[in-house]
Amino acid sequence: MTPAIRLGGVHFNYDRRPVLSSFDLSVDSGQILSLLGPSGCGKTTVLRLILGLAVPERGTVCLGDDLVSESGRLLVPPEDRGLAVVFQDLALWPHLTVRGNLGFGLAARGVPRPEQASRIAAILKRLGLADKGTRYPGKLSGGERQRVAIARALVLEPRALLLDEPLANLDVTLKRELLPLFRSLFQERGTTAIYVTHDLREAASLGDRIAVLEAQRIVQIGTLGELRENPASTFVRELVEDLQNWAS
Amino acid sequence: MSFPRGRWQQHAIIGGAGALFVALALLPLLWPLVELAGRGADSVSAGLGAFASAAPWVLLGRSLVLSGAVTGGALLLGTPMGLLLARTDIAGRKLLLLVHGFPIFLPPFLLALGWFYLFGRQGFLGGEASAGLLFHPFGFTTILALTFAPVVTVLVALGVWNLDPGLEEAARVVARPARVVTGILLPAGLPSIALASILVFALSFSELGVAMFLRLEVYPAAIFSRLGGIDYDPGEAFLLALPLVPVALALLALEYGLFARRPFDVLGLRNRGRKPLPLGAWRGVFSVACWGFTVLSLLPIAALALKAGLGGGFVEAGRWVGGSLVNSLLGAGLAATGIVGLGAALGYGYARRLSCARFFDLVGVMAFLAPAVLLGIGFIALWNRPATQRIYGGIAIIVFGYVARYGIIGIRAVAVAVAQSPVSLEQTAAVFGAGFARRFVSIVLPLHRRVLGAAWLLAVVFCLRDLETAVLYYPPGGEPLTVRIFTLEANGPEAVVAGLATLHVAVTALVLVAGVLLLMRGERS
Repeated sequence: MTPAIRLGGVHFNYDRRPVLSSFDLSVDSGQILSLLGPSGCGKTTVLRLILGLAVPERGTVCLGDDLVSESGRLLVPPEDRGLAVVFQDLALWPHLTVRGNLGFGLAARGVPRPEQASRIAAILKRLGLADKGTRYPGKLSGGERQRVAIARALVLEPRALLLDEPLANLDVTLKRELLPLFRSLFQERGTTAIYVTHDLREAASLGDRIAVLEAQRIVQIGTLGELRENPASTFVRELVEDLQNWAS
Repeated sequence: MSFPRGRWQQHAIIGGAGALFVALALLPLLWPLVELAGRGADSVSAGLGAFASAAPWVLLGRSLVLSGAVTGGALLLGTPMGLLLARTDIAGRKLLLLVHGFPIFLPPFLLALGWFYLFGRQGFLGGEASAGLLFHPFGFTTILALTFAPVVTVLVALGVWNLDPGLEEAARVVARPARVVTGILLPAGLPSIALASILVFALSFSELGVAMFLRLEVYPAAIFSRLGGIDYDPGEAFLLALPLVPVALALLALEYGLFARRPFDVLGLRNRGRKPLPLGAWRGVFSVACWGFTVLSLLPIAALALKAGLGGGFVEAGRWVGGSLVNSLLGAGLAATGIVGLGAALGYGYARRLSCARFFDLVGVMAFLAPAVLLGIGFIALWNRPATQRIYGGIAIIVFGYVARYGIIGIRAVAVAVAQSPVSLEQTAAVFGAGFARRFVSIVLPLHRRVLGAAWLLAVVFCLRDLETAVLYYPPGGEPLTVRIFTLEANGPEAVVAGLATLHVAVTALVLVAGVLLLMRGERS
């Protein structure tokens, strides 16, 4: 089966400094992949390449059977890739209500108004936000904003959802509440997702598989158990040990 | 910013706006050179003979020196005011800043008129000696320094507000407020002071109304005189405009050399909520000094109102104003709409570092900093043709001139706002399927609607105060109020002129107050 997302032989420099080199990654349809790595290792760059917000200098980016970027050429612009994203700062449009935020992408993709309304109502209800539709983002709590950002992405029924450390600024209690919610939402919808984080606990609790990005490429992909049994690098070993110490 | 290249919507919107702006603002600035090239060698060498004598060079040098003196005076007055009002506990500092800043929005010529009613030979406080000082380079320098000092005050205040509060607090731990002001705040305000110097120099070099009213020979006035009256010689006016090109380029190079890499730092507002530095025992003295200076700079407005009131000018003004007030408001409103429209696209492009956008910003800066008479000469040469008489003979030419000269207000205002808003808001919209046009219309414009409103208001007021640009090519019966007052001043009844001038001040104040109230009302938390 063709992977939902595939990056092959990708090279990307930022300010002449290599961020990714000979980078390969593939994510199967319906799979949740946690992309883990130290700060500044290029995790966000991987998302930006998939989204079409950046173009690889060499290599290819494919979504399903579609070649969307290739060696300095953007073949499919971001708006035509059928993806959705949740950025670290959530990027909720402050001048639009919750309903306006959710409706924006649907309108942009030409979804008829009645269908927009029913999809928005359904997802808001599913996320416990049914009474928040007319609120502006500035009037919501941190957890509510987080759920709105997820709702805004999922309401589009994207071919894949990319999340760039969306929980980084939340406290532990909210993370504990939201991570299982995200997982159940993704599983019940069969959403293909890449979840970028530098926290192994988050990566383990959300992802089917964990990919560790280090030194410009993926050094290991596997389940938490596989990482624990056979760490591919010192960084992976330290991460696993940290997790064990924390758990004990 | 790495939005994909080759996006036709983006190119169409920003490129189209840029092309229009270049046609309006850059072509007129370059036109004197084109005219010169088209004249033929003999004609050019004969014309350039005018520069063989010392007279034009002396006049140019004199204008540059006077502008330098005005700049020095404005810095001397405005810098301490800016520091005191921004960061100390001067009594009523917020109100003081508003009142002190108001003269920025008035044509300097009106203030000169007020000073004349105070200190002219027959002025309320005047006599031979004061009139002699007034109609002297000293009077010109003092009036303009007082008028432009608020430009320095406001920019210094903005620069100081932009300082990282931590830097100031770290200094406060070890130093008294006075040392914090001189050792930390003043150096932090240096970029703003430099920008203010360029602006004040450009504004005073362009100043036509005050110089002509005080019968002072300056270079732009010499060019203006070639466009009408007994010295009428438009060909020579074109040639005389040529030395202004390097002046404009020098100001442009200074502005870009100093600020191209950080144009937004100077205008950013990092923290206005800091506790002001206590002046202690000096608070009373400094408060009186600041309020005294502000009241002094408002005296000419009071003199205008008094002159009009005593002579029945307010009653007569209605009969003399004609259509000039409507022309002013209509022209300024239309121009401000154009300025904000173009500024939204070009400012966005500049903030997001899109190709060519920096060039459009450069054109805007040049059109603003270049002596207004240079732009005016270009407008006459470019538009005064049989094929374009419908434009040249109507309000459109006034609007075009305003858009060209003040377009930078829209560009920079939008650029500052967009640069400070997260790009992820637009990127998310792009990922969610919105093309550039939809992102621009549904995300960028609504997000910055208050900035657009404020830029519109600022542009309206700057167009209302304009005299130097419009006076060169206003159409018959289409003159704005400033031009009406300026032309009446020579022969009209004094009380009527004062009445019209007071009307102008009142209209400006009304527009500003109404605009600010509307903007505040539209604020949504």
